[in-house]
Amino acid sequence: MAIPARRIDTLQSVELAEGMEIHLRAAGPFLRFIAYFLDLIFEGLILLVLVFTIGIIGSVLGANVATGVYYLLYFFIWWFYHVFFEISRWGATPGKRIFGLRVVDEAGGAVTLGQSMIRNFLRGMEIVTPFVPLVAFFHPRFQRLGDLAAGSLVVYSKPRVEYSVAGPSAMVSVPVTCALTREEEAAILSFRYRSGGWSEARRVELTNHLQPLTGEVGPKGVNKLLGMARWLEGQR
Amino acid sequence: MNRQEFERKNATKWRAFELKVQAAEKRQNVTGGEELPSTFRKVCYDLSLAQYRMFGHRICDHLNALAIRGYRVIHRKRGVFGARALQFCLSTFPRAVRTEWKLACVVSLVFWLPLFVMWWLTGKDLIWAQAILGSEGMSSLEGMYGKGADTVEHLRSEHGSNFMMFAHYIQNNVGIDFRLFAGGILFGIGTLFFLIYNGFHFGAVVGYVTAAGDPEKLWRFVAGHSSFEILGMLVVGMAGLKLGFALLAPGQLSRSQALSKAGRDGLPLLIGGALMTALAAVVEGFWSAQPFPAKVKYLVGICFWMLHVVYFVFAGRRSYGA
Repeated sequence: MAIPARRIDTLQSVELAEGMEIHLRAAGPFLRFIAYFLDLIFEGLILLVLVFTIGIIGSVLGANVATGVYYLLYFFIWWFYHVFFEISRWGATPGKRIFGLRVVDEAGGAVTLGQSMIRNFLRGMEIVTPFVPLVAFFHPRFQRLGDLAAGSLVVYSKPRVEYSVAGPSAMVSVPVTCALTREEEAAILSFRYRSGGWSEARRVELTNHLQPLTGEVGPKGVNKLLGMARWLEGQR
Repeated sequence: MNRQEFERKNATKWRAFELKVQAAEKRQNVTGGEELPSTFRKVCYDLSLAQYRMFGHRICDHLNALAIRGYRVIHRKRGVFGARALQFCLSTFPRAVRTEWKLACVVSLVFWLPLFVMWWLTGKDLIWAQAILGSEGMSSLEGMYGKGADTVEHLRSEHGSNFMMFAHYIQNNVGIDFRLFAGGILFGIGTLFFLIYNGFHFGAVVGYVTAAGDPEKLWRFVAGHSSFEILGMLVVGMAGLKLGFALLAPGQLSRSQALSKAGRDGLPLLIGGALMTALAAVVEGFWSAQPFPAKVKYLVGICFWMLHVVYFVFAGRRSYGA
């Protein structure tokens, strides 16, 4: 598995054995902080419910047994709440799940029990010194120390929703007379599929940069570029 | 083939794949599940095609998400838990401890040296016990192991108190282990602090009870579980120090790579040490306070220590199976 050099977005590309590259979208520290606080609240609530339940059971089994059960449950919730949910089918604690986050290993697979234990146990010590968790802000994949030690990563589990409106379809196709690279072709097509949401002035501003290609400025350039997009899509 | 055509031709295939993956994620029976890997490879091919031809975020993200989900389902790790646990106990864990024998020496030194020094100092002058334990700690020790104190056996005669103490030891001692491990991330300082602190504390307790209380009561109580508890703590300390050393002296690797490697290699030590401490809690809860004569308890304690030595020196030297 190769981890490529820094890039300007937070996509983490991973090459799988199948010979293709997938992109994981690493989640930033801010959202994770909020998710963590939500989880703290959930832990407190669970503990509260348990205390009441144990109180009722305790009247049957005796105070000592009830206290013992409380100690054990407290131990497991304190240390294994995150671990339990992260190795479950969800791959995330309830707090993370609300924000659509998921804990995965660096190749995008599920984390193991051991990885989850490492990343969660180290968190307790990381927040002893307030500046240490901030390390995650400066890491290209937003991994904090616990994540680095465990080889884990917090990602968005669903593809992003892009609210884009396609621009108007051109009436006539305009043939492109010079050879375009893949990137240039893709740029023209994505102009067509995103320009619907922009003002006319913005469209004009962007197409004016392409004067060498279209030979026009102003609204005429926009029309010509949309015509080229139509031509590139194969409607000739 | 342009984008629309590509999408039109493959949409049914992608949808069928998605449904199968969805079923597999819910652990249902997948009809035609044997085709999953080959369809997965086709989806992977489609993804790389869409990426290369820059068919846009929508298609690429959709296929990317499909590929990730397929990867998770296909590469799901499933082992027989019992067999893996047995292998861990019989071979992985003792081997990991032996591999890290240098660290074992370090943690032993860091723990035992303060213990014996404090034992000796407290024996000479009780002011040291006061400095380490405080007057409250001293009076609670007086209550448990003092000359006129009720024995621990007597305190445990109430119904359910053995279980309660067992639970308390799990919560307290295993929790200390986990903190000991996590302390390693602060360049090992946290781990060292806890080890030295525990060494001083135990030394002061032993020294104080020997000088001012009834040492037989103390030894009778701790004999059984001491080996599990102390060795378990030291083993977890090794895992913590591994993290610390990875940050301090990463060697040929980058610091983050070294940390990742230390986490991976230290994991058996963490889990094994925590299990030993959990066993200590069982012994401490249900055996150590049983009213048996001191000689029986010493014998059992010595046996446990010997067993630990044998286990760590000899277990897992031969490899079984393929």
